[in-house]
Amino acid sequence: MRRLSLVLLAGLLAAPALAQHDHGGARPAVGEGRGWTGAPLLLPAGARGQREAAQVKAVGIQADSLAVYAPDGPPEALRRDFPVGPEGARIASGSPKLGNYHWLVMREETPELVKVASSVWYFGNPGPSPRKLLAESRHELEIIPEPLPREHGSYRESEKWHFLVRLRGAPLAGQALNLETEFGTRTSFVTDQSGVATILFPRDFRPPRDKAGGHARQSAKFVLSTEKIENERRYLTAFNLTYGPDPERERSLAWGAGFCLAGMLAATPLLRRRLAAKAKESTDA
Amino acid sequence: MLERLFPTLSRFRLAVQLLMLVVTVYGSVFVGSYMADKISNALPALSCAYDQMNGGYCVLIPTQHILHHRIGEAMVRAQQLTLTMVLPLLMSFAVFFAFFFVLGKAFCGWICPLGTLQEVLGRVGRRFGFGLRRLSADDLGRTERVRPVKWLILLGLVFLLPLLTGLGVTPHALGNPYCDVCPARIATTLLTGNTEQFAVPIDDNVKFVLGATANFLFGFIVLAALAVRQPFCRICPLLAFNSLAQRLSPMRLVKTRHDNCGKCSICTDACPMDIPEISREEGRKAYSEDCTLCGRCAEYCPQDGTIQLKWGPFSLFSSSRAYYKARVAGELPDGSVKPLKFVRAAGKAAGTDA
Repeated sequence: MRRLSLVLLAGLLAAPALAQHDHGGARPAVGEGRGWTGAPLLLPAGARGQREAAQVKAVGIQADSLAVYAPDGPPEALRRDFPVGPEGARIASGSPKLGNYHWLVMREETPELVKVASSVWYFGNPGPSPRKLLAESRHELEIIPEPLPREHGSYRESEKWHFLVRLRGAPLAGQALNLETEFGTRTSFVTDQSGVATILFPRDFRPPRDKAGGHARQSAKFVLSTEKIENERRYLTAFNLTYGPDPERERSLAWGAGFCLAGMLAATPLLRRRLAAKAKESTDA
Repeated sequence: MLERLFPTLSRFRLAVQLLMLVVTVYGSVFVGSYMADKISNALPALSCAYDQMNGGYCVLIPTQHILHHRIGEAMVRAQQLTLTMVLPLLMSFAVFFAFFFVLGKAFCGWICPLGTLQEVLGRVGRRFGFGLRRLSADDLGRTERVRPVKWLILLGLVFLLPLLTGLGVTPHALGNPYCDVCPARIATTLLTGNTEQFAVPIDDNVKFVLGATANFLFGFIVLAALAVRQPFCRICPLLAFNSLAQRLSPMRLVKTRHDNCGKCSICTDACPMDIPEISREEGRKAYSEDCTLCGRCAEYCPQDGTIQLKWGPFSLFSSSRAYYKARVAGELPDGSVKPLKFVRAAGKAAGTDA
């Protein structure tokens, strides 16, 4: 007990560097978007230190404020606008029990162009599901994930996920949806009759192998974008988040099967000894 | 109708177990992805968070994460322990125990998917004639000697290591060590066709060791369950966790003294956890920390009203001689099916002879 107390005390005094661990479905990776896409992006800026707040930077889009929509809560918490400064916007969840996923939107508007950048932030704030949050139409042209990854889940290489494209709240069929990833993949998908595009995340991961602290889950940025011209006005909308590598890259099925077989071998005597005893009983009889 | 469908308590329990296996492993298919996430947050059940199709959530995961990320890291930051750090943990416990207050330890015997899988394997073992091995003094050793293991796993892997990891004492790979060695994680994900958890991590030595341990345990349990009933339940930290509240729950096992107690020991033979106390003790002592409230002891007790499953003042099932006679005619206490006897009809035999 005394030794344990000393270990605990040592841990307290050591005050080791902290890093965050991604619980959430998916969170945007920290970094710039320039170079791999021209689409507007909402990206986290700086280190994540708090669960309740985050710094988000806009790339390729300019606006005075960033709107953060919560899944639930009082009217003042359902939509909160955060001013955008040189370092981006400091966003926060309104109050507890609003729901994990929050919808982030920035809008830039000129007579010729309506540019919308959207993303989600997982606050770790259990509450209602994001179903209602995603069902509500807020801008002319929207890209809506259907569904968002669950807790402990994320978009990953080689996986197929559905995204709905809406125009003024109605599904938009036959609409091209462009996917760009940080690793240079550029591909296009088309929505079906129900306005849903099935996106196959490319197997293009080149892990940076940054193991500092062992905390950071590897992830890379992607953006989906689509555009529509109506009445000589161009609507450009993007949704960006992160995807992870195929977990099989860092796992071995062969080792798994090997250790499983070893366990089975270890359990074999439990079966054999009894069978031998039964055989002996039969012989005696 | 119900009596024809479920002629015995065991048949009814099997139906509940299979239903809950589907719900806890494939729940999101029925209730939707987001609803399954909500259920996961609200309903602690041994259904792996690594299974992205499930509709439940194991309380051991939030416990480890809260100790690691909330309490441990907050203690390092603040150099002090405040109520706000402990509150999430207390909330997790409160939700968990509220759930167990209603169900009691029946969760283990009626809902747990890993328990169900082991039981199904045990039935396969009986069918294929693998003799039953018992944790008793005359076979594999006394069951009481294994009991501390589950408490050590609960304290070490669920509480201590995640906290030490949050404090920065142990590496991040030890943040949720119990999940990393848990065979239920492998079993439930394999049931959804996902081999990711079966594959052992090879990018980190600590993770490799934990993953290897999980796969070894999984392989061991799959085969051992053919001969030993509920092999993993005996060391499961969730059993230890919920036994903390077993005296508070209205759902419980009640045993009264009978002259034959300790002599026939049929109830212990029927018990999938080989609990000797059910045969020789009475009252609180008979309701052991290992009990999963499966009710087999009550089914196989030949004395009227000696063993009962009760919820508060209500008796849900009570032992009776008549039930015992009918029950033992179909299945022996150890789960073996009684061999069928083919007897020629008397008249037909007489005609043939003539």
